Amino acid sequence: MSVVLAAEKLVKTFPGVRALDEATLTVTAGSVHALLGENGAGKSTLIKILTGVYRPDGGQLRLPGPDGQPRTVQLGNPQDAQRAGIGVVHQERNLIPAFSVAENICLQHLPRRAGLVDRAALRTEARRCLELLDLDLDPDLPVSRLSVAQLQLVEIAKALSADSTVLLLDEPTASLTNDEADRLYGIVRRLSERGHATVLVSHKLEEVFAIADTVTVLRDGRSVAEAEPLAEHSREEIVDLMVGRAYQQVHLAARAVAADVEPALALDHVATAAGHHDVSLTVRPGEIVGLYGLVGAGRSELAKALLGLDRITTGEVRVHGRPARIRDVGDALHRYRIGYVTENRKEEGLFLDQTVARNTAVTVWRRLARLGLVRDRSERTLVDEYADRLGIRLASPDQHAGQLSGGNQQKVSLAKWLAADCDVLIIDEPTVGIDVRTKGAFHELIAGLAARGMAILLISSDLPEMVTLADRIAVMREFAIVGELDNDHDYERMSQSVIRFIHDGQGVVA
Amino acid sequence: MKTETAPEASAAPPAAEPRPPTRALPVWANPRLGLLIVIAVLVALFSSLTPAFLDPRLTLAPLQADISVYAVVGLAQLAVLSLGHMNMAVGRMAALSTFAMGLAYDRLGVPLLVGLLVGLAVGAGIGALAGLLIAKTGVNSFVVTLALDFGLLGLVTILYTWATGGVSFAVQPSGLSALRFDTFADYCMGEVCGPRIPLVVPIAVAAALGVGLLFRRARLGREILMTGSNPVAAELSGIPTHRRVVAAHALSGLLAALAGFLLAANNGAFSATIGESFLLPSFLAPVLGGTLLAGGAVSVLGTALGATLTQVIYKGLNLLQFSLEELKLYIGLVLLAALSLDRLRAVLAERRAVSPS
Repeated sequence: MSVVLAAEKLVKTFPGVRALDEATLTVTAGSVHALLGENGAGKSTLIKILTGVYRPDGGQLRLPGPDGQPRTVQLGNPQDAQRAGIGVVHQERNLIPAFSVAENICLQHLPRRAGLVDRAALRTEARRCLELLDLDLDPDLPVSRLSVAQLQLVEIAKALSADSTVLLLDEPTASLTNDEADRLYGIVRRLSERGHATVLVSHKLEEVFAIADTVTVLRDGRSVAEAEPLAEHSREEIVDLMVGRAYQQVHLAARAVAADVEPALALDHVATAAGHHDVSLTVRPGEIVGLYGLVGAGRSELAKALLGLDRITTGEVRVHGRPARIRDVGDALHRYRIGYVTENRKEEGLFLDQTVARNTAVTVWRRLARLGLVRDRSERTLVDEYADRLGIRLASPDQHAGQLSGGNQQKVSLAKWLAADCDVLIIDEPTVGIDVRTKGAFHELIAGLAARGMAILLISSDLPEMVTLADRIAVMREFAIVGELDNDHDYERMSQSVIRFIHDGQGVVA
Repeated sequence: MKTETAPEASAAPPAAEPRPPTRALPVWANPRLGLLIVIAVLVALFSSLTPAFLDPRLTLAPLQADISVYAVVGLAQLAVLSLGHMNMAVGRMAALSTFAMGLAYDRLGVPLLVGLLVGLAVGAGIGALAGLLIAKTGVNSFVVTLALDFGLLGLVTILYTWATGGVSFAVQPSGLSALRFDTFADYCMGEVCGPRIPLVVPIAVAAALGVGLLFRRARLGREILMTGSNPVAAELSGIPTHRRVVAAHALSGLLAALAGFLLAANNGAFSATIGESFLLPSFLAPVLGGTLLAGGAVSVLGTALGATLTQVIYKGLNLLQFSLEELKLYIGLVLLAALSLDRLRAVLAERRAVSPS
């Protein structure tokens, strides 16, 4: 099989960090190549070199030339990478909402005639790219009208439009439902049958084992497995390679929740303006209640309605037994001691261009302020305390939140609510896009909070996470609770019951 | 008045200096330092070309008074740039406020300080109104304040015609001429006299210190910056974002009113033309000083330096007898050069400090 991309002994250093230390990646035509590693292992840096964003300090990139013979290339910028046949779909969406599907697909090389865009050629080219994916979409539709899954596919079409031989997919299914992800896998397989090579970066091992055939594992900037056939490895071996030590499934200490305690948070037949109906739920102090459901089932929307961002139309919310009318997040925090760790840390949870100190202390300035003024020292003490407790790796509290790795960012967005000293914490998808080891640490942390008496409503689409953490699991479908289960931590049995609820959508079982 | 040493106009508050974004940034990447060097070079250049530039009474004292006005004008814009907003009505807010001051002195005969407070209250009120409109309707601040500016333009003219029959108040409240003409050199204790610094300078310095303290240390200022940085995250962190928007715009109106007062003191008249020259400099000073248009970060010291740079250029070219048209052309060119250099330096600094992800 011919090699379509060879990165040899790449080195990239940043002040104080050796992000890549002779990393090697060899991709052959028609393969689906998984690129794995924990956060900070060097995956992002490697991708940025392959896409011309960074220039390596050492090592070389070899791509086949027009004659098929490998040649050393320098990628000075993203356009170079594209011309060299490397297409990329980033984790973040990079489409222009007001432009049509066709315009977005051909954005980098709009067909021109007499200085103007040739609309007929544009449409033909876009159709060709969409057909590569067997995608039936109107090329004239504005991108703003597409669903998340469709956006993803248009991104892939865009990456392919420049006759890419190598397609880089960075966490392609992070925001897709299972069905949509399955469809994407089908497309990736078809592309590989046609000779395209795909490099898949993913934290989801199920996904990797489902579609990849070869694997490169990065650890601390080095390739600890180089283009090995995936079939020869078990999941445990792969995780071992990533983590660098035998990974053990976290077995959390059992917690006893007193059944006769007044619930810290209780929803009684609640309906909301967002469309929820007949939602009843209780969370007692020291208890973790899981709210499981597929993407779009209305879980985050329920959390936001609880915090006053959407109207509660009927039913009653009680906090520690007393009826509560929560107007906004400030009200929830200061009057009812309820915190909400958002799902979407970059858009909703963090202030990326502000310091970690401010990101952590933003919820407690009211408490820290004397005569309206906040002293840096008290803020710093607080940040040090939580950085220590949560194991946040910081160069300095003055570091911007945007400079941290995903796991550390998530810890910062949790830290601000711990600092705020809440009784009830709603945690929304805490471990999306986070590596295995940090995920384990997060689970221990959340269990520890509950053990100290916090009432936790855990929203997650990660069923193993639910079964590991929750005391009870409520299942939401189409903005209603369709079932509730006591968790016996038997993954097979729990997952079957939960999935039955999601498909049948009825019946409440204690 | 007792003799005392007033702070230097350029000795801006240390508290106003926001923390550098990261420790990794090199010293030369600090836009404030670049400004300081450009100012020093220009001062040296102008004084070698025309010795009159260093004349304390004819050049330096009026220059300091002008810098004071335009530094406060810059702060008025900075107050809403912190949110990523704009105040296109900054000049007309000043005009309306100085009208209120003039009216109070003229009709009620109030002391200087009381009239100032009345004007500041009017400025804060009109700013709060702008903020309220922006927060409640969700319409872009540019559009809201532009419309407000247009409305106020008419209102100010109507009010002056109604109250004075012309375009200015003839009144001179006691103390105004001292603010206009005196420097601390006119106040001596025995043989020791103060430096030749106009009396309006400490007012501007106090305003800069106050704004610096607000954005650096106060919960209110920090929450305004967080709202500017990411409004969604701010709301989801429990910050009352609407009230913070109103507060920032009220502060902008208040500072515009103060700038209007300082200009009225420098001119010796409360007139309808006050504020006409505010809009462009209000953006120049903070932007030259490194304040982002995107919101979330401000530099008070930078704003003071930015105002200093523009006024030094203006004064120097003026002394070299450039015509008004040439003056505008050259100021435009110099500012473009300064902004390009600044951008270049920022890009270089970013390249160095690129962080691994």
